Amino acid sequence: MSKENYIFETKNLSKFFRDPVDFQALKNVDISIKRGEFVSIIGSSGSGKSTLLYVLSTLDTDYEGQIFLDGEDLSKKTKNQLAEIRNAKIGFVFQFHYLLPEFTVLENVMLPALKLAKYPEPEIKKRAMEKLEMLGLADQADKRANKLSGGQQQRVAIVRALINDPDIIFGDEPTGNLDSKNAQNVFDTFKELKEKFGQTILVVTHDMALAAQTDRSIRLHDGEVVK
Amino acid sequence: MSFFKSPVFRIAMTHLVSKKRQTIVAMLGVTFGIAIFIFQAGLMSGFQSTFIEETVNTTANVRIYNDVQEVRQSILEMSNTNKNAWIVVRNQKPKDEDPKVKDGKQIMDLIEKDPEVLGVSPFIGTQSLFRLGLAQASGRVSGVNIEKENAIFDLEKYMTEGNLLDLETSPNGIILGEGLAKKLGAKIGDNMTVTSPKGVALDMRVTGIHKSGITELDNARAFINIHNGQKLLGVDGSYITDINIKLKDINTAETIAKHYHDKFGFKAQDWKAANENIFSVFKIQNLVTYLIIISILIVSGFGIFNILMMIIYEKMPDIAILKATGFKDKDIKIIFLIESLMIGIFGGLLGLLIGFLMQKIVGSIRMDINGFVSMKYLKFNSSPGFFIFAYCFGLIVTALAGYIPARKAAKVDAIDIIRSK
Repeated sequence: MSKENYIFETKNLSKFFRDPVDFQALKNVDISIKRGEFVSIIGSSGSGKSTLLYVLSTLDTDYEGQIFLDGEDLSKKTKNQLAEIRNAKIGFVFQFHYLLPEFTVLENVMLPALKLAKYPEPEIKKRAMEKLEMLGLADQADKRANKLSGGQQQRVAIVRALINDPDIIFGDEPTGNLDSKNAQNVFDTFKELKEKFGQTILVVTHDMALAAQTDRSIRLHDGEVVK
Repeated sequence: MSFFKSPVFRIAMTHLVSKKRQTIVAMLGVTFGIAIFIFQAGLMSGFQSTFIEETVNTTANVRIYNDVQEVRQSILEMSNTNKNAWIVVRNQKPKDEDPKVKDGKQIMDLIEKDPEVLGVSPFIGTQSLFRLGLAQASGRVSGVNIEKENAIFDLEKYMTEGNLLDLETSPNGIILGEGLAKKLGAKIGDNMTVTSPKGVALDMRVTGIHKSGITELDNARAFINIHNGQKLLGVDGSYITDINIKLKDINTAETIAKHYHDKFGFKAQDWKAANENIFSVFKIQNLVTYLIIISILIVSGFGIFNILMMIIYEKMPDIAILKATGFKDKDIKIIFLIESLMIGIFGGLLGLLIGFLMQKIVGSIRMDINGFVSMKYLKFNSSPGFFIFAYCFGLIVTALAGYIPARKAAKVDAIDIIRSK
C-alpha cells in the first residue's frame, strides 16, 4: 500500500479528553482517503465524528498517532507550520459560514489567498471571480457577506475553501444550518466539485440521506470506526 | 506586497471603520490625554524654565563670601579628649567677626586670571532701611562696581527707567527695584535716605529703576556704588563681603566653586546650590503634574483596552475562521495591535494639534502676572522634543493597552468557537 494512492491517511489515531474525567474520544482510528474521493463520516451525536474532523484538520493538535497529508507527517509539525499547511492545502466549510460580515463576498473569498500571497492581488481577484462564477455567485461578489441568504453564504464559504486549490476540503456539518432544499444544493455543489475537478472532500454529517450520496461513508461509534 | 495591503492590516482597518463610534471614543481618550499633556506640562515647564533662567541670570555662577554663621566647635569641645565626658556649652554666640572677604582685591586678581572665568565683580551687601519722606521700607542694599556687575548680570537689560551708568557718575546715586520704588513712591531724581544696621545714614538720589522679573528681588533690592556701600557699613575701601563670578560654562560651577573654597578658604557657592530650594520645589511640582497627566493617559489606555476587548469578543467567529484558514497566532495578535496603534497614532496626532492650538491661544492672551515671577504672557514649552516625548509616551500607553487584548485574541482556541456555534 503506497502512500501515493492516498492523499490523506491516519494511523492509530487516538484522542483523550482529560477534563472533567478521563475519556477516550477516538480509539485507534485508521482511515485513508484517495485523491478525488468524496467521503462522509457518520455516526450518532457523541460518536466522536466532529472531534475526529478537528484532529484531521490540524486545528486540534492534542492527539496520539499520525496523520499524513499528501505523504507529509502532520503530527511532527509546529503550530505555525500547521497554519501554513491549512492555508495552502486545506479548505474548510463549517456548519456556520464564518464569513467576515464587514467584508464583501469577493474580499471574503480572497482573504486566504492574500494570506498565502502565491499570486499578485489582481490574479487572486481574477481567480476568486472565476470560482464565484463557477458556483453561480458572481453577481453577489460586491455585496457585503451579511446581506446574503443562508444558502448563498454557505456556498460563498465553499468558494473561500476552494480559493487556494486545496488538496482536501473538510466539511463539518456543512448543511446543518440549512433547510433541505439548500442542503441538497450545497451537497450538489460538493458533488460537482468532485466530479468536474476531482476535488477530495471529507464531510461530517448526521444526515443519512446526504451521506448516501457520497462515494463512501465511514461510520464512527464511540470513537471507533465501524466496518 | 506592502504591509498596508496585507490582509492583516485590512482586517484591522475594517474593524476600526465599521465600529466608528467606539473607535472615535477611544481616539478621543488619547487625544484628550496628549492635549492635556502638551498644555499642562508645557505651561509648567515653560514657567519653570523662565523662572530658572531669570533666577540664574540674577545669581552669580559662583559666589565667594565669608559665612560667619557657620556653626563652629567651641574651644572646650575641641580640647576635650575624654570620650566618656559630656560637654554642654550653652548660649553659644557667633564670634564677633566681620563678614569680610579678607584680601578680596588680591583674590579677585587671582580669579580674573583663571581662563574659565568671564567676569569678576566685588560686592558689599547689607540690610538697610529705605526712607523717602514718611514712606519707609526695608531691603537689601548692594554696593557694586556697576560696570563689572553689569558684565556679570546684564543689568542694563532689566532697567525700566534711568541709565545704569549714572550710578557710576553720580556721587550718591541709587537704583531701586521696581517693587521697592513703588512701596516708597520713589521716582527718578527723588532724594531719599538709606540707613544701615550700623546706624550710618546716607542721602541718596534715585537714578534708575530696574526690574529683574523675580518679584521677591524687585521688592527689596537696591544698587548703590561700592564706595557708598563701604560708607554705609563704616568700613575701609578694601572691605567687600562677596565676590561674584561669571564663568564661561555654567556647568563647571560646582567644581570651580569647590576649587576656590579649597584655595581661598572662604565659602564658595555655585548657582545650583544657591537655588537648591527652588529646584526642589519644582521637582515636587513636576512629580504632581506628571502623575496627573500619566493618570489621564492610563485612563485612556483602559478605554482602548475595553474597546479592543469588546471587539475581540464580538469577533471571536472571525478569529476562529482566520485561524482555520491559515492565519497564525502572530497574525491575529498583529491585527489587534494595529488597531490599538492606529487609535494611538491618530488620536495622538489630534491631541498634539489641539495641545499646540491651546498653547498658542492661551499664550496669546495678555495676562500681566505678578506672582513668583512677573510676565506679560504665559510662556509654554513648545519645543519639538517636548511634543515628540508626549507623542511617544501616548503611543507606549496605547501599545501596552492593546497588547493584552491582542495576546488574548491570539490565544483564542478556534475549535472552542467552532464547537459552540
